[in-house]
Parts: sequence; structure tokens; C-alpha cells
Amino acid sequence: MKIDELSLIDLAKAISEQKITSYDATKFYIEKCEERKDLNAILEIFDDALDKAKEMDEKIKNGFKGKLAGVPVVIKDNILYKGKKASCGSRFLENYVAQYNSTVVQKMLDAGAVIFARANMDEFAMGSSTETSYYGITKNALDPTRVPGGSSGGSASAVGAGLTPVALGTDTGGSIRQPSSYNGVVGIKPTYGRVSRYGVIAFASSIEQVGPITKNVKDNAYMLEVLVGGSEHDETSLKTDVPSYLSQIKGSVKGLRIGVLKEIEEAVAGFEVEKSYRDTLKMLKENGATLVDVSIKDFKLTLPCYYIIAPAEATSNLGRFDGVKYSRRSPDAKDVDEIYFKSRSEGFGKEVKRRIMLGNFVLSSGYFDAYYNKAKKLQQKLINESKEAFKKCDCFVLPTTAGVAFKLGAKSGDPVAMYKEDLFTIMANILGTPAISVPFGKGENGLPLGIQIVADRLNEGVVYNVADFIESKGGDYARV
Amino acid sequence: MSKTKITIDEVKRLAGLSALEFSDEELKAFIPEFEQILELVDEVKNCDIGDSKLEYTSHKLSDCREDVAKESLPQEEILLNSPKTKKGSFCVPKMLD
Repeated sequence: MKIDELSLIDLAKAISEQKITSYDATKFYIEKCEERKDLNAILEIFDDALDKAKEMDEKIKNGFKGKLAGVPVVIKDNILYKGKKASCGSRFLENYVAQYNSTVVQKMLDAGAVIFARANMDEFAMGSSTETSYYGITKNALDPTRVPGGSSGGSASAVGAGLTPVALGTDTGGSIRQPSSYNGVVGIKPTYGRVSRYGVIAFASSIEQVGPITKNVKDNAYMLEVLVGGSEHDETSLKTDVPSYLSQIKGSVKGLRIGVLKEIEEAVAGFEVEKSYRDTLKMLKENGATLVDVSIKDFKLTLPCYYIIAPAEATSNLGRFDGVKYSRRSPDAKDVDEIYFKSRSEGFGKEVKRRIMLGNFVLSSGYFDAYYNKAKKLQQKLINESKEAFKKCDCFVLPTTAGVAFKLGAKSGDPVAMYKEDLFTIMANILGTPAISVPFGKGENGLPLGIQIVADRLNEGVVYNVADFIESKGGDYARV
Repeated sequence: MSKTKITIDEVKRLAGLSALEFSDEELKAFIPEFEQILELVDEVKNCDIGDSKLEYTSHKLSDCREDVAKESLPQEEILLNSPKTKKGSFCVPKMLD
């Protein structure tokens, strides 16, 4: 039984049936990570990973059952795992060690997972290319001259290159879906509140979520079932029942109403992804789905809305990094003001500083109402528009990105061009809805393109069903 | 649509609010960058939101946990990530003479 040919679900089954040991599976993936150091997808392989895997093998022999029993997992560098570093891709947190487990880590450990490594990311998750990490750029799994996307670029590149069966990412404006699209893998941003954010280093608290990145859709549904559920430490997390997502994958789209957004039809024209997008709609229709014309009139305002809300919240969240409590203090600081100013100036990178400045601009007196309050009201208007649209359809289908992964460095000098990378993904963060990216079709040099399925809040089941169907009809990049 | 203009004094004020230090060149470089970004976000400033009101973006279904005292992290563990501590406290340079 070849480990890398197994899906996450099959690997979990094989380990629980003791056909493969957790030790062998973990060792296999650690060796894969060592072989592909050139990608710089993985920042650290945890030194106790193999011991933990051995412990799991003992537990499994003694009857332990868990959905991830003995399964190796990678986490993004902003997710806390007690006793392990979590540097958030930043120099500021270079030596920060987590003092407690995030809810998602605890849930995975309870399910028997062996968390064996942490993955690179854009600094404080601010970026769309994993080029802003203090620990160096990560490369695309399929073409190392290109970006892996971001900010969860390390996680997506690791899954794409077969360095792990699953990795966790976080998504504030597309940071799971865009890199998933670029690396030919599957990534979901769940409904806001579906997964607890407790123990995840905060960027823009009102719109971000943790989600899994996997090689295929069913693996993704299986993994999300482990992660969902409320936490008493996160007031925004949902305490409602946890559904089975796998059982909602029916292998059919017959009778489903697929929303075709007028604004996407206009926005997609001329982009590389246009053919894949139209092929997807055609294929769904040929297989019994009904295409319904819908509209979110203010769709084009989702991007500027995001670039007000996200920096404003980031500014507040990053206020805690003051050189006193966490990790880094400038050695040159002589008084308290210098501790703040010098520690922050030396600890944060350029993009983080840019967003803190922008956040303070939109929050400062004279501008607060014009920008932040207006953006929050606009967000509500967009939510209302989407609710009307979802009365007429079960989900929207739209592209994940305009084209295939771009070349390293191609956009790093142009912040607005980089921000526009998130054109199609930001909507789901603003609406708080679930959205998945699944590979469908190819672009330049045979590289993958991604299609998104977005449904109303808590309808992850619909999203998975449609994504699984799309994958079955042409997910050339589905590896397993 | 009126383009928001940024002055060097505005950039300096923001740097102060952000507790960030920049060289004069870095401060100047912010002006065109900021104006470009503001051109993007000004679309929100100028849009029509009708009678849309501020609402909680989180789910109304969420509720608070029972207010019961529980064990928290031990003091020594909390201080572990601090760059400088003294007698169980965060340590900073003297603020008052």
C-alpha cells in the first residue's frame, strides 16, 4: 500500500485498521518535506512528531478510535499548538511559543491527529503570494518559478506537492481558496463562526475562518467534520449541531439551482479563467442543474469594502504587539516609547506596516464614519442582497482567481494589483458564507484553474456536493 | 469622484498613531501608495448604501458561556514569552523619576 496514493480518508482507515502504522505514515511525510525543502512550504518539522506517532500506534492497538487516529497533519504558522512555535510568518514572533492549544488543534488531537509541521505564510496573513513572510518566499508546488498564492501558501503548496495529506489554512479574503486554486488542490472557507478562531493569531476578526486544504473534496468534507463546533472561548463560534458533510455528497446535481451572478459574468470577461468558468456552468446544466440568473448589485464594492474592514481590524489586533508581552523587544529601546516604536518598526515587515497605517487612517477621527462605519453598513447591504439571491438559487458558481498562479515577484511592488488578486474570493468573507475552491480546467502551461462554489450561511453540504461533482467531471488535478 | 490627497504631515501623524518609525524616504513613499489605495477604497466612501444599518456580523445564534470561574494559565507560563520579566511581572524601563 503506497502511502502517497491514499486519500486522507483511506489513510485514516488504513491506520485505524493497523494496515499502516502512524509512525510509517508520519515518517513518510516528514521525509517528503525534507526532500522538497526547495519549496520552503514548511517552516518547522516538530521534533516530537515521530514519538507522538508511536504513541498513537500504541493507543490504536489498545482500541483508540478517532477520525484522524494517527493521521499526519500540517498547520499554518498562525495556529497555536501548545509548546510549539507560532511565528505568524513574522520576525516579531520569531520565538513565540504557544502556551495553549487552539480549539482546532485540540479537536484534531482529540480525533487522534499527529500534527507534525507548521507551514509558511504571508506575514500576519497579509498577502496573496506568501512573498511577505520573514522566513522567505514559498514556491508553487507545480511550478517553482511561480507563487503558491497566499496567505496560506505554505499549506497549499505542501498539499499540492504531496508533503502532507491535509493542512490547515486561514482565510480572511481568500487566503485558503486562492492558494488552493494555484496549487491544484481543494480548500474551503467555512461559514463565519462554523469553526472556532480561539487560539488563531487574529488578523481581521469579523471575517476570518480556519479551514482545511486537501487533495480532494471528500477528504475536505471529512476534515471539516473534525474542525467544526463551537468553543466556549470564542463568542462568535456557533454552538449549533455539527452536521455530517460527507453524507450530503450525492454524486448528482440534478434539480439543483445554480446561481449565475450577473456581475461575475461581466467581471470574468477576457480573463484566463473565463473558459473554465463557462465550461463548468455548461457541464452542470448538462447534468441536470438549472442555471438561474441572480445579482449582487454591489459586488464590485466587495474589494474596497474589504480593504477598509480588514486593515481597520488588523490595526486593532496588532496593537497588542508592543515589545512587552510577546516575543520581541528591540535591544536599542531605552524608554517605554522606544520599546513600542522600535520593537514594532523592527519586528513588522513592509506590508504589515502599510496595513497598520491604512487601518489607522480609516479609523482616525474625521474618517471613521466615512470609511469604517460606511463599509460595515455596506457589508450589511451586501448580505441583504445575497439573501435575496439565495432565495432563487442553492449556490453561486464563480471563478476563484482570474488566471493561473503568477510569476514570483510579478506583483510584489504593486499593492493594488496584489489586492485585486482577491477580487472573486473576498465576497464570501464579507457575506460570512461558505466557499470552496475546486480545480477545474487548465490555463497557461497546463497549470490549474479554480472554480468556487458559494452557498448561504451554514450550507457547506451544498458546497461540497457541487464541488465533488465538478471534481468528478474534470478535476484533472485531483491527485487521489 | 474627488481623489483623497495625502500630505506628509498626515503620513507622520499616522506613523505616530501606529507606533511605527520610518525614514523620510519611507514616509514620502507612502504618499503615492496611499493615494492609490485610497482611490480604491474611496468607492465605498462615495457609494449609496440606502437605509442599510450597522448590524452584528456574527450570528445571532451565538450565546455567552456560563459565568463560572475556571483555572486560567499559570502566571509563570504567561510570562514565558515576554522579552523581560521581574518577580512575576512584565518588566519595562523606569517611566517616572
